[in-house]
Amino acid sequence: MKRNEIMEKIKAGFPGADAEPRFSNQIHAAVPAAQITGFITYLKQMDFKHLVNITCVDWIEENQFEVVYNVWSYEHHIHITVKSVIDRTKPELQSISSLWPAAQVYEQEIHEMFGVVFLGNPDLGPLFLHNWLDLPPLRKDFNAEEYSGAAYGFVETDTAEATCIVPMEEN
Amino acid sequence: MDSMMAFSELTELTRNDKYVQYELFFGPNFPGMHGNFGYILDVAGSTITKVRPNPGLLHRGFEKLMEQKLWLQNLSLIPRICVPDPDPNEVAYCSAVEKIMGIDIPERAKFIRTITLELSRITSLLMGMGALGAMMGHYTVMYRMMQDRDRVLDMFEWLTGARVYHIYNTIGGVSRDLPEGWIEKTEAVLDELEGNIPEWDKLLFDNPVIHTRLTGIGPLTEEEAVQYGIVGPSLRASGSTADVRKDDPYAAYPYLDFEIPRTGGGDALNRAIQVRLEFAESIKLVKKALHMIPEGDFKIKLGNSLKLIVPKGDAYARVESSKGEYGYYIVSNGGVKPYRVSVRGPSLPGGLALCHKHLPGMLIDDVAIWMASFAVCPPDFDR
Repeated sequence: MKRNEIMEKIKAGFPGADAEPRFSNQIHAAVPAAQITGFITYLKQMDFKHLVNITCVDWIEENQFEVVYNVWSYEHHIHITVKSVIDRTKPELQSISSLWPAAQVYEQEIHEMFGVVFLGNPDLGPLFLHNWLDLPPLRKDFNAEEYSGAAYGFVETDTAEATCIVPMEEN
Repeated sequence: MDSMMAFSELTELTRNDKYVQYELFFGPNFPGMHGNFGYILDVAGSTITKVRPNPGLLHRGFEKLMEQKLWLQNLSLIPRICVPDPDPNEVAYCSAVEKIMGIDIPERAKFIRTITLELSRITSLLMGMGALGAMMGHYTVMYRMMQDRDRVLDMFEWLTGARVYHIYNTIGGVSRDLPEGWIEKTEAVLDELEGNIPEWDKLLFDNPVIHTRLTGIGPLTEEEAVQYGIVGPSLRASGSTADVRKDDPYAAYPYLDFEIPRTGGGDALNRAIQVRLEFAESIKLVKKALHMIPEGDFKIKLGNSLKLIVPKGDAYARVESSKGEYGYYIVSNGGVKPYRVSVRGPSLPGGLALCHKHLPGMLIDDVAIWMASFAVCPPDFDR
């Protein structure tokens, strides 16, 4: 299938989805959060069998999380980036862990790093962080410097000389 | 002799569940473990019954750190995500940024990038094959291959100034031109590497002991491999021909004529042979590319690197590393720093998902071989 045909099929199957071509072989699709499982299943049936990854972007100013699914087709050699926006105050989304085993791990990671809850994922326990009690660390409102200062102590320095920091203007 | 146990007592112990069923920490401190990663294995006798991956000991928060650094400063961070094969990180990051900026790099830079990528693949495959040998107690192969790898690292040192973390590919091209005499010397090194291949065959790939040891470990059909997200040589050893270099061409690969070796079968032996064939093909590919480098600029001038601004947008770019598809998904909000960088390492599906399918039922002795044969490199998911 050519890229145009795939776009037409997407529009026919999901009129609520917004699909545009970009770069030489990619498609950008924005899908309402309620339809995400159905949409990804639909893509998988169209031979988009390789789940590249699932990731998340924290748009703190808009009070939104954007969950991003990257899928690739070994048949058509087309990449689709699927985006779904959810409310930051109630971050919940249906899981796609039943479609690919690796999706479970990606979702677990997003849950840990952003606090997004994937409904239906069998294991959302700690993965990389051990005994973590603070905010999910990849959120934009988590201040890494403050955290490390509080956890490990600040290094007391009197002058810029001691730390070898040169202000950018003088550089 | 009171302190010694009678044989009958020992036999009695094996009937006690407490000693037969136990929990074993395979890593982080284990000779067969690559990097600070571990599997917590539930074991009955020496057969694994359940596995829990234990990542996080190597987590350095790279994705968070990259949001706090300038676009070009990040180039010194990203090669550290994957130690044995650093260049795919640089190229994937740069191509994603170039996609957002909508720029095309000069032809000469494309060829130089391809050559660094392939040389990096050669070093990584040598390390991978050596590690597989070492996991079977065949340390000779490991040391001899490290010697060969060092020859390529010498060429990297001459070209980039660094042996392991090259920080050579940059947004808009590569950071400096090829030094005089580098091409000839690299060819000589590659000839030497090619000449050593029969030795590897004799030591490892045609060795009947190795064949017996590897046959049947971690069998995987093509369909399962795709379903689990396995990429690269491990996917191709199951019969697929998928390769990012052919399917989603980048850098100078569209201009180069090369073949993707195909084995099929899908167990540890096939994966080892697939890697061996790809190694030989890579050497041929670099030799070809060295003769085709066009004249011209090696970099686009983008102005003050500290003030580089990438327009608002997002892009995903992928590169075929020695372990398979390596991708960067980058989001920019139009500032001097990335808004979000997400790394797709090739090892996550194998190391954290496929282990649940393969390891239960396997002997403890085979775990290290299983990891080496799938090229599970913990730093790229524990980033």
